[in-house]
Amino acid sequence: MLFSGVTLFVLAARAEAVSPVPAPKPRVMSPAAAVGVWALAQLVPSPLLVTGKEHVGGGVRWQVTPLLYSFGIAERPLRAFLVSPIARHSGSLELHLSPEWACCAPGQQTSWLVRAGLRLYLPLEEHGEKLSASLGGAYYRAAGGGGASADVGIFTFNGVLGLNVAVSPWLTRREVITALTLRFF
Amino acid sequence: MRNNALLALVVSLTLPGCGFAWRAFKRNLAAPPERTVAHKIVDPRRPRARLAALWVGHATVLLQLDDRFVLTDPLFAHTLAQASPRLVEPGLDVANVPPLSAVVVSHMHFDHLSFSSLDLLEQRTPVVLVPPGMRANMPRYSFEIRELESWASYEQDGLRITAVPVQHVGGRYGLDAAFEPRAFTGYVFEYHGLSVYFGGDTAYIPSAFQATRARFPTLSLALLPICPDAPRDFMQYTHENPSQALDAFALLGARRMIPIHFDTYINSDDAPGACAQELRDGMQARGLNDDQVSILAIGEQRVLIADGPPPAKPSAHNDSPPLASERQR
Repeated sequence: MLFSGVTLFVLAARAEAVSPVPAPKPRVMSPAAAVGVWALAQLVPSPLLVTGKEHVGGGVRWQVTPLLYSFGIAERPLRAFLVSPIARHSGSLELHLSPEWACCAPGQQTSWLVRAGLRLYLPLEEHGEKLSASLGGAYYRAAGGGGASADVGIFTFNGVLGLNVAVSPWLTRREVITALTLRFF
Repeated sequence: MRNNALLALVVSLTLPGCGFAWRAFKRNLAAPPERTVAHKIVDPRRPRARLAALWVGHATVLLQLDDRFVLTDPLFAHTLAQASPRLVEPGLDVANVPPLSAVVVSHMHFDHLSFSSLDLLEQRTPVVLVPPGMRANMPRYSFEIRELESWASYEQDGLRITAVPVQHVGGRYGLDAAFEPRAFTGYVFEYHGLSVYFGGDTAYIPSAFQATRARFPTLSLALLPICPDAPRDFMQYTHENPSQALDAFALLGARRMIPIHFDTYINSDDAPGACAQELRDGMQARGLNDDQVSILAIGEQRVLIADGPPPAKPSAHNDSPPLASERQR
């Protein structure tokens, strides 16, 4: 009886010593705010090095993904616009749209062009989060007309950083455009 | 090292004001080479043990419940997210992991969900249990990936694993936390009258621990994270500190506790060893001994319940003396 009493007293004392104050709830963005942040992040352009016959220039490129089919992900293979890095870089086929300003197109009224095409992403290390590669083909439309282009790329840091080289044989004096791609989702 | 510096620069540009992240990256740049574990266990199977735990490092624990093995948050990678080098090598070689009944993953953060580690375990487990929303963020594997809602269970040949509530954040890359509000969990393993709590990563939530105790009143062991602690104003939402971990241990009513999630990577302002020391101080203040709270070294295995018949009726917790522990190195 005495032992039980002492035990209960000790347990009660222990219970009192436990803090009843819970941690505050984590501050997590709402989905709408996150979409807003994502949209702002898409405005960050990737810098370009434009090289052509007797011409070197700079430029910037943006890119959006209207649709992507991931064959590397376990569930929900179809994604649109907001694509998580693992869905893209674990292996996917992407429909992309890329407006760009590639300076400067000699003899043309504007240096703007837009590409639309398909790009295949292949994981190389850690399901593409550490290293992935891409192969793509696109149709571009510039002031002087349209044409075909092909590109290869390599990506790291969950796809945030990459290097993409696009070759457009008929894009006069801007035949090779190298992009340091910066991309968040 | 150059890659780390580049990433640090990118992070500092894209997350202005995130001083903590910058400090952590700077400390990671100066991290010492990975320390090796002397006398690593080659065969972790303990035929004469009913309950044994081997701390592989961080939140990775190999649990033996009688003849069953489960692995928590497997992380055998030497670098996290290409940025944070491991301070101590994994305490168990993947080649020496016995056939597993299940692997559990508590959430998607890089220090808990390691795709390369799961690659290494692909032929060793039939199933990986994850919280809701995680399958859509995982690559394809040959094992089954099963999502468990809170209080839902997976059961196979007498081993039952139940998801239990904790407080953390979902997502993997920051922004996706907004889209995966439930993608974090703890687990309770039950087998042959034994029951083990695994907290994964959690803040201090008394109601969740009490609710878990109400459903699992005779926990044999609690694996509780004790770090990161500092900066507290940033960590308090998602991580319990050592003192709170001891409170959680009391609220769970478990017979024993093994602290996890410390001194494996640099992911906070905490000095190496600080969390373990704070835990020791807390143990002393509360009169807890090494049999009740066992601070393992990375690679250390402890037999918590030695061989014997399964109890006919689970005994009450905390009111009987803990069984003698046996160190295995």
